[in-house]
Amino acid sequence: MANYSKYFALAKEKGIEALELYVSKKYALSFSLFHGEVDSYSLEDAQSLSARGIYKGKIGYATTEKLDKSAPDFVVSQVIDNAKAVDKDDPAIIFPGSPKYRRANVYNPDIRNLSVDKKLANLYEIEKKLKDADPRISEVEAVSYSESDGEVELINSYGLRLKSKSNYFYYYASVMVRDGEATRTAYKIHLSKDVNDFVIDDFVKEIVDEALGKIGATSIPSKKYPVVLAPRVAASLLEAYLSGASAEEVQKKSSLLAGKLHQLVASKKLTVTESPLTKNAFFRYFDDEGVATYNKPIINKGMLETYFYNLLTAHKDGVKTTGNGYRGGGGKIGTHYINVSVKPGRKSLDEIIAKVKEGVLIKEVQGLHSGLNAQSGNFSLQASGFLIEGGKISRPVNLITVAGNLKDLFLDVSEVGNDSELQLSSFNSPSMLIKKLAISGQ
Amino acid sequence: MISKTIALKVLNIATATGADFAEIYLEETLSNSISLENGQVEASSSNLSYGAGIRLLNKLQSVYGYTNDISLKGLSALAESLSKSFKGPRAVKVETIKKVRVKDLHPIERPLYEVPTEEKIALLKDASRIIQSHDSRIVRVQTVMMDNFKKVVIFNSNGKEFHDKRARGRMAMIALAAENGKIESTFEGPGAQAGFEFFTRDIDYKAKALEVAKSAIRMLHADECPSGKMPVVIGNGFGGVIFHEACGHPLEATSVAKKLSVFTDKVGQQIANPVVTAIDDGTIPNAWGSGNIDDEGNPTQKNVLIKDGILKQYLVDDFNGRRMGVKGNGATRRQSYKYEPTSRMSNTYIDAGKSTPEEIIAATKFGLYAKSLGGGSVNPSTGDFNFAVNEAYMIRDGKVAEPVKGATLIGNGADILQKIDMVANDLLRAQGMCGSVSGSIPVDVGQPTLRVSEITVGGRGGSING
Repeated sequence: MANYSKYFALAKEKGIEALELYVSKKYALSFSLFHGEVDSYSLEDAQSLSARGIYKGKIGYATTEKLDKSAPDFVVSQVIDNAKAVDKDDPAIIFPGSPKYRRANVYNPDIRNLSVDKKLANLYEIEKKLKDADPRISEVEAVSYSESDGEVELINSYGLRLKSKSNYFYYYASVMVRDGEATRTAYKIHLSKDVNDFVIDDFVKEIVDEALGKIGATSIPSKKYPVVLAPRVAASLLEAYLSGASAEEVQKKSSLLAGKLHQLVASKKLTVTESPLTKNAFFRYFDDEGVATYNKPIINKGMLETYFYNLLTAHKDGVKTTGNGYRGGGGKIGTHYINVSVKPGRKSLDEIIAKVKEGVLIKEVQGLHSGLNAQSGNFSLQASGFLIEGGKISRPVNLITVAGNLKDLFLDVSEVGNDSELQLSSFNSPSMLIKKLAISGQ
Repeated sequence: MISKTIALKVLNIATATGADFAEIYLEETLSNSISLENGQVEASSSNLSYGAGIRLLNKLQSVYGYTNDISLKGLSALAESLSKSFKGPRAVKVETIKKVRVKDLHPIERPLYEVPTEEKIALLKDASRIIQSHDSRIVRVQTVMMDNFKKVVIFNSNGKEFHDKRARGRMAMIALAAENGKIESTFEGPGAQAGFEFFTRDIDYKAKALEVAKSAIRMLHADECPSGKMPVVIGNGFGGVIFHEACGHPLEATSVAKKLSVFTDKVGQQIANPVVTAIDDGTIPNAWGSGNIDDEGNPTQKNVLIKDGILKQYLVDDFNGRRMGVKGNGATRRQSYKYEPTSRMSNTYIDAGKSTPEEIIAATKFGLYAKSLGGGSVNPSTGDFNFAVNEAYMIRDGKVAEPVKGATLIGNGADILQKIDMVANDLLRAQGMCGSVSGSIPVDVGQPTLRVSEITVGGRGGSING
């Protein structure tokens, strides 16, 4: 166990009233194949220490990766200087601790214990199977494996000391198919913490099916269509929509969910929960302020049940924090959600598609960072997928845009599928049928 | 950060098993950020990034690792662990290391890390006041100043040592306007590889702040943009993101070397309309995307990518250059020591043409004038791209008409290059952050006002076809 007493002693000596240290360590290994050879191999081993401290009633932040003898001096002097710059009258809070924490060991040593040769053999097998799957596959762009161990430790001057360690691995592959003069690509990521649940043949089949399905893709006439959102797309849009449920956004008047607590913000078909205590790769039993996390409903049959709070935003609203204070840029505490999932419905994707006379199945959207404004909820995104005619998929579609407003979209959900899929963002959503969305193409 | 003796030892450990090239990239970066909400300082933070990345190459294979422990022990352990990827006899022995002189192309008068915090705060408060006092419908104003000072040292097995210092500063101004439940936000982010003088002398931040405020209010009342295919006139400056996304990324060796790009094997061919000349120039003094040397130690260059519509060259790093049979052209970049470097853009722009912006608008009977663009993305294998329009107007009968909002432009890079049919003489560059395999790096995009004869516009305002 590392010794952080120097930081606390120096902080006390320099007049810092309370100090919190957040130490994160990361180990990662990844490698990739191209044309049957390992073309890249990388090894990461890094740690950083983020501090926040209260000086004369204000909070100051400092982060360093230079963890030598000079670190306590750097951290303490920067915390003080940065606290001095603050003139906004926010209360400065460092948390003494929750009465109870639901600790669990989610670290899976099997991931690192599996030999590199076995992991490499999987990559060779994936590449070969992708190449041999169909003559129309012109190139296997990349096949890679990554594994990552993360450890976070929080220590503060109230004597609180918490630690959490987790790991995961993922396989990634992407292929190209020729389509006349044009090229189509498809990729898949398999993320897990259980080495036994990776089935190469299933992984390969999904990529190949997706790539071949895109051959002959064209645009479609511009108009409003009923739209089925694939799990990946529904999860991304839900993530953007719920960013407005951050109490900070609400308090700063930049959320479209402001004033919507205990009101309908989505279709009655939608129930959404946040479950940080789910024992997967994203599990956290305390947030980055040391508050015990808990599972909770966010949207119950369309009704917004709560906003997401950290200590500061909760204090402003006179409520308890929901344990969603996580560090963002510069080590500053923001708001973040873990394991947000939509309760699956009963119908399969095929059964949902069967309900649509003429519509579009959206498999992918691009440009989420630019074509979507989470504050206003307006979006206009490049999309691709399939045209649905007579309750069946008829042909692939690309270079269209799908446009609308997030609030209208989620109020317009008329079916929720039973096909959930966990994303790298930790959001987990099934397919959804939206009554109508503006598509522009030809 | 480390001595020649240590570097020599580590490079020779790295090359013991057959690697034909080894490189140590050391970095120490101090970043500061001050953020204001509605004119009050909400948070100030400092971040010290520190570590080393070691890269080994063996023919077409690369091995990369990084650590925060830059002691002889830490670096030796990393080099040894990486060298285990190769199992051959030693091919390279490093005997001596010679320091290469790096010329400083970006003189700085008042380094931001030396400017008193109060001065930066005073400027941010002034910008905030200008935005907020413009209109009562502006409900939230964020002004932020970020600066960083990066010290880089590179040692490689060619016996070379490079030292470079890079200091950048950027200001962000965000205005949020709200009325009757509608919210619009606008952004300006001027930045440079320069000191405080950039903000107080080189640019007019007051005018930029006012424009941010005005634009947010204008967009509050804009109609939804119609959708469909139409001619689009793209404004100068950040409009250059179209070239950056649609053509710049597919011209990077990162995708060209493995023949994955739509522009593979097209050098010497007409890939764009003859009115198009495109340049990537990492040498522009004090520009946001410039450098003295790239992250392999090669001097940055002015690279003409497309001349009068003909593809001249790609952006190449030495490693991908091995597959292509060419040398790197000073275009190798990375966010930090945590990223293996690869070919990236620096300051990329479409060069000035002969028309005037007024002539282009007048020559367009109906279409969209995309005055200011947001970000976008591209799939370099297919060339399909998208980007968001922040501020736009309809063009009717050769005149700029009503404002519209919510537009996205989509298309294919190879196709769009052929359809740029008019280029104006008002070249302007603007700053952005570009994310790709080697991380998020500062880049300039740029272009004069130009017209694309036909592009798909996505919006919520109904189809133009009826």
